[in-house]
Amino acid sequence: MELHKEKQLLETLQGVFQLKSGEIKRRHRIEVEVEKKDVVPLLLFVKEKLGYKHLSHISCVDWIEEGRFELIYMPWSHQEQILIMVKVSIPRDAAEMENIDMIWRQANTYQRELREMFGIEFPGFVGDYDFILEDWEDIPPMRRDFDTEAYVKDHYFERPGREDAKDVRTEIAKRSGEQIPDFAKKYSR
Amino acid sequence: MREKTTTLYLGPQHPGITGNMMVKLSLKGDTIVKAKTEVGYLHRAFEKLLEKRNWLQCFTVMCRFCVPEPDPMENIYARAVEEIEGREVPERAKYIRTMVLELARLQSFLLWYAGQNGSAGLYTVPQWSVGDRNYILDLFEELTGGRIYHMYTWPGGVRRDLPEGFESRVLKVMDYIEKRQEDYDRMMFDNSIFQKRAQGVGIINKEKAIEWGVVGAPLRACGVKSDIRIDEPYEIYDKLDFIVPTQEGADVWARALVRRAEFKQSISIIRQIIDKMPKGEIYNKVPNPQKWTLPKGNAYVRAEAVRGEIGMFLQSDGGNKPRRVHVRGAAYVHAVSLLEDVLVGQNVSDVSFIMNSLGTCPPEIER
Amino acid sequence: MGFFNLKGTIRPLTGLKQFGKVPHTIEYPNESKEAAPRYRGFHFNEIEACIGCGNCSTICMNGAIDMISLVEVEGKKGDSGLRPRVDHGRCCWCGLCVEVCPTGSLALTKEYLYVSPDANSFLWTPGVDNPEGKEKISFYSTAESSLTDMTRVPMRELEGMERIKSFAEVVLGYEEEEARKEASRCISCGICTEVCPDHMHIPEYINAIAQADDHSAIKIIYDNNPLPEMCGKVCTRRCEDVCAVQVRGEALAIRWLKRYATERAENAEMIREIVNPEIRESNGKKVGIVGAGPSGLTAAYYLALRGYDVTVYEGRSKGGGMTMYGIPKYRLPLESLEKQIGYMERIGVKIKFNTQVGKDISFEEIYQQYDAVFLGIGFQKGWKLGVPNEEAPGVQPAVDFLVSVNDGQEVKVGKKVVVIGGGNVAIDAARVARRYGAEVSILYRRRVEDMPADWEEIEGAEDEGIHIIAQAIPKQIVVDEHGKLKGFEYIKARMEQDERGGRPRPVPIEGGETFVPADDVMVAIGQEADYSFLPEEFKKNIEISRGRIVADPVTFQTSDPKIFAGGDAVNRTADAISAIANGFNAVKGIDKFLFGKEK
Repeated sequence: MELHKEKQLLETLQGVFQLKSGEIKRRHRIEVEVEKKDVVPLLLFVKEKLGYKHLSHISCVDWIEEGRFELIYMPWSHQEQILIMVKVSIPRDAAEMENIDMIWRQANTYQRELREMFGIEFPGFVGDYDFILEDWEDIPPMRRDFDTEAYVKDHYFERPGREDAKDVRTEIAKRSGEQIPDFAKKYSR
Repeated sequence: MREKTTTLYLGPQHPGITGNMMVKLSLKGDTIVKAKTEVGYLHRAFEKLLEKRNWLQCFTVMCRFCVPEPDPMENIYARAVEEIEGREVPERAKYIRTMVLELARLQSFLLWYAGQNGSAGLYTVPQWSVGDRNYILDLFEELTGGRIYHMYTWPGGVRRDLPEGFESRVLKVMDYIEKRQEDYDRMMFDNSIFQKRAQGVGIINKEKAIEWGVVGAPLRACGVKSDIRIDEPYEIYDKLDFIVPTQEGADVWARALVRRAEFKQSISIIRQIIDKMPKGEIYNKVPNPQKWTLPKGNAYVRAEAVRGEIGMFLQSDGGNKPRRVHVRGAAYVHAVSLLEDVLVGQNVSDVSFIMNSLGTCPPEIER
Repeated sequence: MGFFNLKGTIRPLTGLKQFGKVPHTIEYPNESKEAAPRYRGFHFNEIEACIGCGNCSTICMNGAIDMISLVEVEGKKGDSGLRPRVDHGRCCWCGLCVEVCPTGSLALTKEYLYVSPDANSFLWTPGVDNPEGKEKISFYSTAESSLTDMTRVPMRELEGMERIKSFAEVVLGYEEEEARKEASRCISCGICTEVCPDHMHIPEYINAIAQADDHSAIKIIYDNNPLPEMCGKVCTRRCEDVCAVQVRGEALAIRWLKRYATERAENAEMIREIVNPEIRESNGKKVGIVGAGPSGLTAAYYLALRGYDVTVYEGRSKGGGMTMYGIPKYRLPLESLEKQIGYMERIGVKIKFNTQVGKDISFEEIYQQYDAVFLGIGFQKGWKLGVPNEEAPGVQPAVDFLVSVNDGQEVKVGKKVVVIGGGNVAIDAARVARRYGAEVSILYRRRVEDMPADWEEIEGAEDEGIHIIAQAIPKQIVVDEHGKLKGFEYIKARMEQDERGGRPRPVPIEGGETFVPADDVMVAIGQEADYSFLPEEFKKNIEISRGRIVADPVTFQTSDPKIFAGGDAVNRTADAISAIANGFNAVKGIDKFLFGKEK
């Protein structure tokens, strides 16, 4: 009984769309995964037909090992009190997603950020470039392959005065004459 | 005569702007014809930074997302981690956490009093409310060891138990603040200057508010009964007795009335919590932070802050660091797409007045 | 509502009533407010209590904490000699460094005011630069609140009275989940590696276990210890005495974790596959090794990896030396050793069993035949007690008793057994005798807490119903008129503080003579080497001092350059892990001797 509404919603969605996966995470949360082509129809369906009027969030995860971005759209219904997490994977190279800022106006802001931080393009989308960054020429910085440490080393200098810092493990190994083999070093702290 | 359009850059350094952001205004006379939010002055790359920190180190960054109200951020991070890991939180810790959240709301309301009145040129209230806020900060200092950034709510519970006699001191401050509310009422809500400035200003259409993702007091001021604490109860909110105040005006005045009512609710909630506070453990200890890993999975948790709904999307890839932390702040919507729309047709002198009533907070936009 | 709203104009004016009130936020003259009792201000570090583990530096997400050498602090065993220095300009006052400090030496104080135009002056060594902070400590951790997990995952064991029925292994070992949990307590400081005679890569293999990478753990372990399963079961584990977690809690179960990892390789072939060592091409040199104990086998293994042709001569029928014959099987089962020796043979080590040097083959022959010789002969002869009637039948060295049992010989144990000594050999002999159904008492000169045996062994003995008589100085062995053993007489002692600062000494109490009846007396007060296999001319060449072979502490070369030595007969600690370390280092010495440099 407790998850009755969630079950019903999941069944409805399963009936209308071909879900790659669907699960009830907990009360107030269901998670579905769909193909890219089904995203806009599904979002329109839940908004217009089921009353999921409030888009709470859009997030993006970079699964660089698998060569894909995962976008998560999270509409919420003030009446049903359920938040649907709609997941969709898009290829990482030539990342492209459909524009939804006519469904939810605030998606405009999200899409500007996604374009800037992840390099995801939204064809037909009108929104200013340069949202948070200015004159950025490097790869989109929220991508996992953007190396913050290397960037910092390139752009800033280390303030002198702390060169005498020592590593405890190396110091002890040096004192006792222990030779840590290279294959073990990745397990040092 | 052809009217000339003037461009005015309000911010990034302007006392009326709630932080480091800029609104680029196109004016005809004193009337705004176009507004554009420009951010980028405060980007600290927290979300990127968090991908390089282990699960415990991340918790110390959370409060820094938002200065006026850091505790809900700590809270949603802790709950997101707990949801992914399936970690239980002791009952007493939940009560303490809720109390901290409500104290944080109170001090944030007082800060809002200051901002709302300060931007209307009523400088007495800011002097008072910032002073009164210090009594709450004293409580925080005693409880957590820090005044602004508490770093107190962490995954598994809270860091330290209540000090001896803390409850009675909280109640004393509550009594004092409740009494002070009368002073604020006289200075602010009864004040015809404030009424004139606030009524009919910054109106948001109700339908638009729902569809555009407006949350918190601005949404409730449109007559929508929406509050995360009731819609999706977290911690111990389902055991507390409180209502969601709404108004119909949808203007700055209505939003102020909603917040005033919520302020009273919070005082009552804190009294209820102290009344019901159980004894027991406060912390379900996490493993050695260096080697603490979470199972693969994600969570999206939300909380009701003074500015409205805040949320956190947390993705774990099974390692000892988050794969992705994504914060949803109320201001992300309020200060960009909504503000750009609401400001059109308003008087230029009302910009920061409206911004304060929407609770814009640039750190939430840029993170 | 018109513009001149009377109420709305008058009511705000009531604010004027505040005019005459005393402000309560600012005091004059200005006084700094005393911070709350839990305030997170500047750091303070108790320099003497700190062990320099660097956990604070690791957790600091701002990189504000450096570990530096201080003039006043010298590194020693259990102390890295480094101390934290905090950049208070980078610190965010989260206090996580305090929460993870295993010793509790680091704390935050109530002090929070410091202004300077010089950025460098914000680098403080807490405790040195602000000694006054000690009085103002506000935010600290207790053993309960600390994020260092102080409680060890308990080891499952056979129940006490169940154990004495057989020689089944007492300690049951960690299950996978237990091992991961225990391993994840480690803070990876590496302080333990310094006291390990062999300097094993402890944090690395524990981390590998914590990350569910058992195979890497095994590979790391075999990097400098070819007998780790034996160590995982019976090592004296001095590493655990200095574990950073041990300061306020229970040390990491380093030994049990090693045992867990090595047991993942179920047989010799699996070890071979997992370790998959690089074996260099033959370098044409031959090395002969006397004694297949830990030091001899270790030297043999690493020499074989470096391309030497290695032959080990062992007088008994099985390898392992004292770990095979001196340690009861309920602690170290036969299969454990055979697995590891089997693995060595797969690598190319040749072991000639039942070949006693000096009897089956002469030492000269070995000396002539090989380019270098390694002596790993151990201590095999038990010391005499030096009291009257020691030659009575029924009195024997405990080590001889253990060897006979482990060798599978038939032994006779009387009803009442008295064991003299407080080391592991004494406990082993007592527990073995108990398994033969005897009533056993252990006599020890000092207090129980002074016993050099492992505390787990002492507890195990007590669990099995062995009676420990502490503070008992041996007086004489009592025999009847036919010379038959009747019992043992000792004098009760009290402990007296040593004036020279040593450990307390037992002093006999007058009239404290006590008699215990015994059918058997086993003496376990120490052992010595047996050099009878060495011909006279070698005895002259090899310097032997106080019963020990004198060898270079780095290369383990003896005074005869071609002869190297290690193990109990060389080092003073006389345990398996020191023997392994000697063997490991002697390999480098032999390399240097034969090729002029370490290859």
